[in-house]
Amino acid sequence: MATYDYVEKAIKITRREFLGVVGVGAAILWTGAYAATDLVQDRTKYIKLRAAGLYRDDAKAAARQSHNNAAVGEMYKKFAGKPLSPLAEELFHTRYVDRSKLGGMRS
Amino acid sequence: MSHDSDGPRVLKHPLSSRLFHWGLILGFLPAALTGFVLWLKPGSDGFVNLAMRIHIGAAAIFTLSAVLYTLLCLDRVVAFVRRIFSYDDRDVGWLLVGGGYPQKMFLGRKIPVPPMGKLNSGQKMMGVAMLFGGIVLTATGWILYAFIPLAPKAFIYWADQLHLVVGIVLGLSLFMHIFLGIYNWGEFKAMFGDGTQPLAEAEDHNPAWVAREIEPVQKAAGGRQLPA
Amino acid sequence: MQGLRPQELAEIIAIDRKKCKGCDACKAFCPTDAVTGKYGAVHRVDGERCLFCGQCLVNCPFGAPQDTVDIVDKVIARLKDGRTTVVAAIAPAVRVAVGEEFGLEPGALVTGQLLGALQTAGFKILDTNFAADLCIMEEGSELITKIRHYALGEAAGHAPGPLPQFTSCCPAWVRYAELYCPQLLPHMSSAKSPLMMAGALAKTYGATEVWRTNPENVFVVGVMPCTAKKFEASRPEFASAAAYWHKRGSAGSYPDVDVVLTTRDLARLLKKLNINLTAAAEFSDADNPLARYSGAGTIFGNTGGVMEAALRTAHFVITGQELAALELNPVRGLKGVKAAGVTLRDAKTGREITVKVAVVHGIKENLGPIVDEVVAGRSPYHFIEVMNCPGGCVNGGGQPINPMGTSWLDKYKAILPWS
Repeated sequence: MATYDYVEKAIKITRREFLGVVGVGAAILWTGAYAATDLVQDRTKYIKLRAAGLYRDDAKAAARQSHNNAAVGEMYKKFAGKPLSPLAEELFHTRYVDRSKLGGMRS
Repeated sequence: MSHDSDGPRVLKHPLSSRLFHWGLILGFLPAALTGFVLWLKPGSDGFVNLAMRIHIGAAAIFTLSAVLYTLLCLDRVVAFVRRIFSYDDRDVGWLLVGGGYPQKMFLGRKIPVPPMGKLNSGQKMMGVAMLFGGIVLTATGWILYAFIPLAPKAFIYWADQLHLVVGIVLGLSLFMHIFLGIYNWGEFKAMFGDGTQPLAEAEDHNPAWVAREIEPVQKAAGGRQLPA
Repeated sequence: MQGLRPQELAEIIAIDRKKCKGCDACKAFCPTDAVTGKYGAVHRVDGERCLFCGQCLVNCPFGAPQDTVDIVDKVIARLKDGRTTVVAAIAPAVRVAVGEEFGLEPGALVTGQLLGALQTAGFKILDTNFAADLCIMEEGSELITKIRHYALGEAAGHAPGPLPQFTSCCPAWVRYAELYCPQLLPHMSSAKSPLMMAGALAKTYGATEVWRTNPENVFVVGVMPCTAKKFEASRPEFASAAAYWHKRGSAGSYPDVDVVLTTRDLARLLKKLNINLTAAAEFSDADNPLARYSGAGTIFGNTGGVMEAALRTAHFVITGQELAALELNPVRGLKGVKAAGVTLRDAKTGREITVKVAVVHGIKENLGPIVDEVVAGRSPYHFIEVMNCPGGCVNGGGQPINPMGTSWLDKYKAILPWS
């Protein structure tokens, strides 16, 4: 039990001070909410803009299907024959490696 | 506890303020120490990770203390804010002589200093830094804790930069505060004791406060004892 | 080292320990848990587990993960040596992103200026979009063979690989399958990725028919939105052109694709050569057949693009008619797993078949259930497109780094102090 003879006078909070405290608190909460909502949505913006660029490139292309790319047809005619031809298999196809069996394993 | 030999006493730190101070000791102090660890990252993964866990736990204590103190003791917070923003030419005079501390510490000489209120000029300036810095540290800290994979990179980057700079400034201020708090042993006793201080000591340290801001306790009949 | 063969690049992504804050953001984007280091402590990348996809690099708030393979000066040296035909194989996604490095809006389509800038720098052009069209012809034919064999009962010369067929364009996905689900490898399309086809083609057909030079003087530079392509180019089997010429009496030994520049690397190269992309004269290498491409080739850079391109051609090959509406909206957009069915009437047999396809992007978040279905043998799909990066190549690990971060998380994972 503390004993003392003097104590600080009580203060009266003015309206302005009260609003100030409430304002600061609200600003902090709003910052957090903003971080969690508005800015998050922005994250996909760059993907969408770049993707839209490629779809624009597609829409304005003269030929829009791979088999209608005359240069590809010309290449097959002059060089590789046809898709899945032996030369196409040799140059355009590959095999895969089961890397889980490559050894030197570090768990 | 009897203080009769010391003469009249004044309640400097009511229980609520002392409890908040304990909240800062258990919250801000470990957060500051581990903050330096996280900044410099000395030692093993496990050590730095432990520092991170303590940092977050301490931050929770700090935030909870600050929020509760603001909500439950709004008058104390407002009084504090009023004090830290009131400056006049006495503060200039006080700052010019460094509050008399260098003379006292290095020359062993007590020089007259302009009369101060409950907080001297240095404490007021640190109070401003603590108020804004504390808000910034808390807000950026929780953003860094909770929103890192989610919030945009630039947002996180600047939150981290602010957290780092403000954290270093306040962390170093904290060490100064601890040193001066112990150096002024009477202040230490008041904060870690029952919150009271002999009136004579308060008059010496905080003359303007004693002159203007305190009043005698309404005595209960027959004694001077009152619950704190 | 596990997961790597001797010739292959062992490290592409490394974390700068001075910049790392230990915030775990990279872990939230890593598809293979290749990032180690506890929360708060400096993190490291385990090259054996890493797909080299670079998602950590583009998403780290502090720019700590770095692309350690810097071959810009090497490419400049080859451009200036006067003997080498330096061929730039430009990926689709580069043309909508490289502008960002020169102050243009994201998504600005700068094909003409990009080709102009590359021509000024001394590159010959092989548009990877051309190779994408070629990829559709090969991969699509492979798929159609399988569909005709398994679904339409047509006899094939030899039993083709099992359905569903997975796309094999994404080098990070290929490495993921090789490392973590080798049982899926028979399902992978045997078609090389467009870049590897481009490399093989540049040093055979390109050398003889287009640039008329000795294949050994052709230096193929992949310009890619991708850090994993650097790894892919180092895979030893991608030396088909050298093998082709070896059979024809030439002894040279060289990879199909010599080096890979990311979109960021290309921007650095152009800046080093004082070439401003925005001021570059528009150029279309119209006389060069290897620079011509279709709309199907260019959308390879988007999630769902390979699928859309493949279905446009599969529709034509199976039904004998062009698809009426070319925009396949079910496979567009950013939904994690997109499924669609296209009903085709086979022109040969008159039978109807519904080709079921699925598109997965963002291996970390979305691949699991699709793979489980295939492994369990109850996958309803014929063709599955997988791209490692969320959104596809436009959001690849080699793309310009955006201050806001370009990937997103479907699931929100809080890092708790006790976790």
